[in-house]
Amino acid sequence: MGLFDKLVTLFGLRKQEVKVLVVGLNNSGKTTVLNHFKSEDDKSTEIVPTVGFNIEKFKNQNVGFTALDMSGQGRYRDLWEFYYKDCQGIIFVVDSSDRLRLAVVRHELDLLLQHPDVSSRALPILFLANKMDQRDALSSVKIASGLGLDRILDKPWHICASNAITGEGLEEGVTWFTQQVRQVGQPGNRPNRTGPLASGKNN
Amino acid sequence: MAFKRDKKEEEDGGGNPFENIEKTSVLQEARAFNDTSVNPRKCTHILTKVLYLLNQGEILGTTEATEVFFAMTKLFQSKDVVLRRMVYLGIRELSSIAEDVIIVTSSLTKDMTGNEALYRAAAIRALCSITDVTMLQAIERYMKQAIVDKNPAVSSAALVSSLHLAKTAGELVKRWVNEAQEAFSSDNVMVQYHALGLMYHIRKTDRLAVIKLVSRLTKQGLKSPFAVCLLIRIACRLLEDDDSAPGTDSTLLSFIESCLRHKTELVIYEAAHAMVNLRRTTARELAPAVSVLQLFCSTSKPPLRFAAVRTLNQVAMSHPSAVTACNLDLENLITDSNRSIATLAITTLLKTGAESSVDRLMKQIASFVSEISDEFKIVVVQAIRALCTKFPRKHSVLMNFLSAMLRDEGGLDYKASIADTIITIIESNPEAKETGLAHLCEFIEDCEHTSLAVRILHLLGREGPKTKQPSRYIRFIYNRVILENAAVRGAAVAAMAQFGAQCPDLLENVQVLLARCQMDSDDEVRDRATYYYTILALSKRNLYNSYITESLQVSIPALEKSLHQYTLNASDTPFDMKSVPLAAVEPLVLENAPQKGAPEGTLLSTPAAPQRLGVSKEESALELLSNIPEFAPLLPQLGPIFRTSEPVELTESETEYVVRCIKHCFARHLLLQFDCLNTLSDQLLENVRVSLEPAEGYRILRELPIPKLPYNETCSAFCLLEFPEELTASTGTFGATLAYMVKDCDPATGLPDSDDGYDDTYMVEDVEVNLADQVQRVWKGNWAAAWEEAANLCELEDTYALTSMRSLQEASTNIVQFLGLQPADRSERVQEGKSSHTLYLAGVFRGGHDVLVRAKLALADGVTMQLTVRASNPDVAELVTSAVG
Repeated sequence: MGLFDKLVTLFGLRKQEVKVLVVGLNNSGKTTVLNHFKSEDDKSTEIVPTVGFNIEKFKNQNVGFTALDMSGQGRYRDLWEFYYKDCQGIIFVVDSSDRLRLAVVRHELDLLLQHPDVSSRALPILFLANKMDQRDALSSVKIASGLGLDRILDKPWHICASNAITGEGLEEGVTWFTQQVRQVGQPGNRPNRTGPLASGKNN
Repeated sequence: MAFKRDKKEEEDGGGNPFENIEKTSVLQEARAFNDTSVNPRKCTHILTKVLYLLNQGEILGTTEATEVFFAMTKLFQSKDVVLRRMVYLGIRELSSIAEDVIIVTSSLTKDMTGNEALYRAAAIRALCSITDVTMLQAIERYMKQAIVDKNPAVSSAALVSSLHLAKTAGELVKRWVNEAQEAFSSDNVMVQYHALGLMYHIRKTDRLAVIKLVSRLTKQGLKSPFAVCLLIRIACRLLEDDDSAPGTDSTLLSFIESCLRHKTELVIYEAAHAMVNLRRTTARELAPAVSVLQLFCSTSKPPLRFAAVRTLNQVAMSHPSAVTACNLDLENLITDSNRSIATLAITTLLKTGAESSVDRLMKQIASFVSEISDEFKIVVVQAIRALCTKFPRKHSVLMNFLSAMLRDEGGLDYKASIADTIITIIESNPEAKETGLAHLCEFIEDCEHTSLAVRILHLLGREGPKTKQPSRYIRFIYNRVILENAAVRGAAVAAMAQFGAQCPDLLENVQVLLARCQMDSDDEVRDRATYYYTILALSKRNLYNSYITESLQVSIPALEKSLHQYTLNASDTPFDMKSVPLAAVEPLVLENAPQKGAPEGTLLSTPAAPQRLGVSKEESALELLSNIPEFAPLLPQLGPIFRTSEPVELTESETEYVVRCIKHCFARHLLLQFDCLNTLSDQLLENVRVSLEPAEGYRILRELPIPKLPYNETCSAFCLLEFPEELTASTGTFGATLAYMVKDCDPATGLPDSDDGYDDTYMVEDVEVNLADQVQRVWKGNWAAAWEEAANLCELEDTYALTSMRSLQEASTNIVQFLGLQPADRSERVQEGKSSHTLYLAGVFRGGHDVLVRAKLALADGVTMQLTVRASNPDVAELVTSAVG
């Protein structure tokens, strides 16, 4: 059985399973983003503030995602770190209309990047500059500079503007994310640092 | 290889597969929960191990538990139903130990509102175990929905969880009463039962609402037999409350009676059980209930038989005549194949039966006593104890039986209850004393319980010297010195010394034995032997009395504290034993007082707060006083508290202000503590004090008012007085008035409306200082010797006619209470049918004056009393005699 498993994975026939962590401040739209990926039957009509976390599953290009939708409220942010250790990617959702709390976002991001379970690994990070439809929304470039994303040199990252309610921009982000995860997951195909870095800077 | 191992496991067969698991290895295995893809079968197995460990009493530390808990949260990604349900159980077990358990709140609410029916009920239970009061509001909406859910399992789970939540968040749960009401009309028997439980719990504190609820439901007729049982219990509780309106009583009683004709056996039994256990049941109401139980005694279903005979057993003492009616059925149950039923039947018969049947029943029970469990053996022993008090003449049969039981195998509880019973028999029945002691002597020859052996040796030391042939016990006691461990040897040495002190002809032999004990290997035993040997060698009777036969009379914790203080302040003066407060002798608690059963069962009863052990009233009072800055510097001058009285109510309990007085008596001073409670929500009292008009000779030294007394708080005002020089003037009555300044205030905030107030006073009852307040009880093991010794002290004698007393017992109880002295040699109990009685009392007056009182009582048109007082101070003797008159 073990040998068969290996063979299947080698030929890329087997569906890959990854665990991703979805974090961000409260009211940034994490649960709504994940709700978009669910099948029509499972979609919930009403989104309430998450207490603790929720586990959601979805698929993209034959990769199965297990997303841990963490609560973004101030008193629960300490709990994120319990899940850093065994995730293979992070989706960081930012409310691009909330200029005031961009500093808070930056602080939380710094804490995340400095955590030993994250800093030592080349985890792909997808930033979603959500709520792009809002009138006073910042552009993704401004958010990238506001958060100082160019300081991240050892991890592949990508930022894209999105609207979680209509689903705009989400596909693009997740497609990038899936590719990154594929590269990490396939043996012999070590993640190429320059590639993703370039892609990060180009955006 | 694998095949071989399988075979080996098969051979082991049926053993516990979890027998050899270990905490550390299981915690290690639990890391598998973090794997990216979850293996449900493996994880379920690991979780089972974790739960097994927790249920075996293994204790996880907070970090360990939190780690397992968070690993477990990752299992939510699996869709496996069995695993998910195990996760719920894991959450519930760990919720009290791990930190940040609220992390699973959203996941659980998702499951509880989801489509998977198997998840919903269990998710609710898990959710309620992790929710605290602050989080509850967030899930309130979901709980309300779940209570009225169509699925009975979900509804039941929500109702029971609400009941548990009500313990911490009573107010919030009260808002769910409408939902509970709706659930109550459910067709499901369990939902209806649980809904009634919640509805009752919400209204529990409001008596009128409960009465309304019960009277509505009794008419309505419920579908669920469980709900009917609960309703019966609620009705019983209402009936037991004393101040119920007379009208409701009869309806409640007739409801319970009607339940005797219910179609479910469960309800019939509950009603019968309720009927016989009600305090107020009359013979007329009892008859149908007992006949139902009688019917159950002869059914073919063992649980019903058991329930019926157990109920009959419990009420055998309170309603003997009713139970006697069932004797014939009980006789049939003696040979029941179920030993528990047979035991209960026999013990019931023992309780109700006639003297003539005792022999036969004892023979019957002896035939299978070895087959029943310890727990039921204790029931048998208790029945025998009841028999002994009832038929003292049968003591030899019973005693033989007990000693046979003592020789059997059994746990400490069982052996202790037998020894207790024998000791009670010895104490209540002088004829049985010699045989009882002989049985106990035999028992300690082969007793593996140190605590029991020590107790029996102590008893031998106390009772043995007073028997006809004290010498026969010495051998048994000395055998212990040769064969036993240090604790028992020590007790044996002390017991031998008692013989030496009280039996002059044995003294020489005892001294030889004690001299041998001085070679013991244990320090404590050697010390005791040397101590007793030296005192006995002096051959002075008064030394024997005060250092061997009498036990230490000071309170041990206080002695420890004083000695500690003494060692801290190095001084040249020797330690003075007199400065240690005396131990108050606790009044004997009647052992066979009826145990108050909670009719509500475990569901709603609250455990009583445990009393602080080892701390007397005096010490807790001293602790309180030394925390008051105004008194702390005064305390060294006052000395130790000699005696603290029970609180006396100076007001009725339902008045505007409630005042209680506690009297602390020092050697020369009296401190009155007034606990005041303000029950008016619109008043703030300031500068509250109790102004006293002291009796003649008393001098007020210091008053300490309460600066502020807000609504519903109890604070204490103090008043320090000096006792009069003349001892005879120290009893008296003080007029008392509560004086204070009133400020009107807002009931909601408690803040005064304005800064102006007005002075007011409130009359309270007089404070009485009597003899009992100034005397500490002292227990004399050998009162007669102490009395002899006190012959050269001051003695006063007087005769009184106590016309208001109707019986000797009443007179004796009153005298003991009035004088506040400790009766010795159980002389406070008057034997039935005697026309004269002598009461021996002992105590210490404040300042350390010994007081001994002998009161000879005679019954003749009222009670005549000849009172002889011997005291080390003539004034004290005079005070005692004058106090009685």
